[in-house]
Amino acid sequence: MKLYKKEGNILQILSFPNETAEKGDYLLVEDADAGKALIAQVIDMQFASIPGVLEELLRSLPDGGELVQGEDFDPLEIAPHITYIQDASLLICKIRATIEGETLTPSSSWLPSRSQSTIKKLPIPTLLKLTKVDGKLPIIMGSTKDASPLTIDASSLDGRLNIITGKKETGKSHLSKLLMLNLIGYGATIVVFDLNGEYHSLGMTSDGKRNTYYDKIHVLTPAQNFKVALKQLNLQVLLGILIHALHLPGTSAREFRRIWQSLKERDMLNLHELGEAIRNWHCNQHVRDALFSRYHALVNSGFFTDETGGTMLLEECLFKAKEHGGAIIINLRNTSTIDRQIVVEYVLGKLVELLTSWKLKAAFLFAEEAHLYLRETYWDDIVTRMRHFGIFTTFITNQPDTIRENIYRQADNIFLFNFTNEHDLEVVSRAARVDAETVKSIARDLPPHYCLTLGKVVKDFPMVVKVKTLDVKTMGETRLFFKNAD
Amino acid sequence: MIQQHTITTTQKYNFPHPTTDTMLPQRLIQLSLHTLKTVQNNTIQLNQQTIQQPNMETHTIQLSPKPITLKPNRTPTTIAAVDTSNIKIGETPTGIIAAVRGAALWKQNKHYHYTRLGPFIFHITEENKRQLYQTLANAYLDTNNTIHAYPLNLTQMPNRIANLLEKWLQTTLTKTLTNSLILLDGSLTAGTPDTPTPLMKETLINARKRNNTVLAFSKMTNLRANGYLITDALPPHTPPYILETYGFKPKPPTVLLGEVYVAKLTNGNYAFRLDIDKEIPHEQKIESVQKLLGNDHLQQSYPETLRLAHILCTFTANEVIAMQHFTTRHYNLKIVNRPDMHRLLFGPYGKGDLNA
Repeated sequence: MKLYKKEGNILQILSFPNETAEKGDYLLVEDADAGKALIAQVIDMQFASIPGVLEELLRSLPDGGELVQGEDFDPLEIAPHITYIQDASLLICKIRATIEGETLTPSSSWLPSRSQSTIKKLPIPTLLKLTKVDGKLPIIMGSTKDASPLTIDASSLDGRLNIITGKKETGKSHLSKLLMLNLIGYGATIVVFDLNGEYHSLGMTSDGKRNTYYDKIHVLTPAQNFKVALKQLNLQVLLGILIHALHLPGTSAREFRRIWQSLKERDMLNLHELGEAIRNWHCNQHVRDALFSRYHALVNSGFFTDETGGTMLLEECLFKAKEHGGAIIINLRNTSTIDRQIVVEYVLGKLVELLTSWKLKAAFLFAEEAHLYLRETYWDDIVTRMRHFGIFTTFITNQPDTIRENIYRQADNIFLFNFTNEHDLEVVSRAARVDAETVKSIARDLPPHYCLTLGKVVKDFPMVVKVKTLDVKTMGETRLFFKNAD
Repeated sequence: MIQQHTITTTQKYNFPHPTTDTMLPQRLIQLSLHTLKTVQNNTIQLNQQTIQQPNMETHTIQLSPKPITLKPNRTPTTIAAVDTSNIKIGETPTGIIAAVRGAALWKQNKHYHYTRLGPFIFHITEENKRQLYQTLANAYLDTNNTIHAYPLNLTQMPNRIANLLEKWLQTTLTKTLTNSLILLDGSLTAGTPDTPTPLMKETLINARKRNNTVLAFSKMTNLRANGYLITDALPPHTPPYILETYGFKPKPPTVLLGEVYVAKLTNGNYAFRLDIDKEIPHEQKIESVQKLLGNDHLQQSYPETLRLAHILCTFTANEVIAMQHFTTRHYNLKIVNRPDMHRLLFGPYGKGDLNA
């Protein structure tokens, strides 16, 4: 390989056919005289612009589109040399860092010697050692292109905002399950908004046996084993549901507060009395109508009850998870949009309540397709305010444009699967921790189950990894009509 | 350490009738390897400048005012063509490294076929140039007695070697084809150092013996009529047609073995000097051009077979780089960049041989 050009932090390297390099590979451009080396990543490959190639291609097709039949008598065997040069490629590389001695700096401000520099592939294990991507709480994500394991540190997910995105059936949920189970293994508390009911069997192996996580997976299905007694409900949590999920206007919310306090003082907090109180409350008819419609929404959800037995399940699960690590799977499958929003608001409100009172230390929140149950204006709250409370969110989506740009800007880690759609790539490329060229070029060519890992988990050295398989019962498969057709 | 190349001892050519001698290509390989041996561990200055520098001398002739109109004759006839090219690929402290390649192309049953020989790479020095040329000439021209009479310019050597290869390919075609048209690049002028008269005569005799007709197309001509190049000032007639010429008498020892015509075979502003074997009857001359029209594709008045022969033998820039790669790898040459005096002295205003 030969260094050809440097423009900004882009290196162009001439590579010959016997030097195999692929997108995502790392190269070490070493200038022995300068005592420094550049670490660059291949982000694209092109044919080298070799003079005369066009003439040669045209020369081979002049007989009405068919090859001219003939024989070459090439005594000195020059043809392989022609092919060798013709097949030379130009590697477009992004400079990631400079090594000087033992020190690694993200600088690309110096120019290595074009004639004297040696260029070789940098094995991923060496790079991981240099960048110190490992840590005390290792999570093996999978294997890199050179078959070496990529191990990230669980603590690099701690206190961070993560995004897992890619097109359908590329392995997003699989990776989120892998991260989740590893975090559980290190004693983390996890809450999952499970939109498609695909996380509830994580405690089982693929052949249906209980695995080590069996006792740590708690599945809560709203209106079934997950209900809330009005008496045990905090007014702030309920107001959160009314305002954010059911869009109750401010004036009506004020009246509701009064009604609630009145009932509480009289120890009459139940669904029937709440309905009666709204009906008889002296207030504007519009306010009453507004309150009534929300009341019926609460009642119809089946999520609220007057019976207190078993209604503390969320808290119990959270405390259990706090002790030994565990995941609370909020099964939102078969739940209507409005009920889904009510449940999500309740869970978030409850989490904030427990975290602010330090009953919980911190929790990891895994949110699949969050745009389906979170108000748009609520996203900022999730990633900023709740982070300070100790809720560390991982968004999982195949529609990256549903996540607002400011979320991408704040994302600490992005796990990017294949995208072929230019628009989707454009959206993801706005993330602050990555350069647009890398995202657009590498993500487009990722095969299924290969993930481009970006951000703090890999110390800002983007790495392509084949996500390792999990021996858990996956429930995320698409139901097929022609499944047994074979 | 010189790497020994594997050379096939029995050459197999894809000509229609492979019954020809292989003396010259074998000599070319032997001399190529021999001369390259002398250059190992040396330095090389890369240079892609072509050496062909035609020596133009103007002659005045007359053009027939009446064109001979032509009608394509579609009787199936094999059309064959030969061309060679050479290029300087570098300089060494003692000489130049040059490559030569030749191509024979024939159209048979509406399909084109080719045989391409080379590239043959030579290290030509002041010391070895005469011996090199003599060995090749002996192998083919049998002009041992006359070779010393001509000066051998080092820079002209690749051209001379390419000419030898071209003549060999031409002879091979005339000896192997039957009832065919053989297209040559250039004229049917003989008596030059590269084209001894006996050789050209023999080539034409061989062609005639097998009922082949030799047609030579010149891309450039120095023949003028009434002060204009014969290919420029043409009467307004609908092509295809040819125009007879009169009064062309080359200076001895140069002789003309063909009749000179101006051929305008398609519409457009393209016409070529066309030499047809003088010894064949007039009707056969006309018929041969008509057969060419009926059997080959003509674009811009030029036969496709000859155009392809030219294309196949010319070197592309990529091939030049490959040959430089080959020589530097196999003969351990070190590339040096000598300062270009024109650039050095005149900067962007300096336009020397390299058209810098």
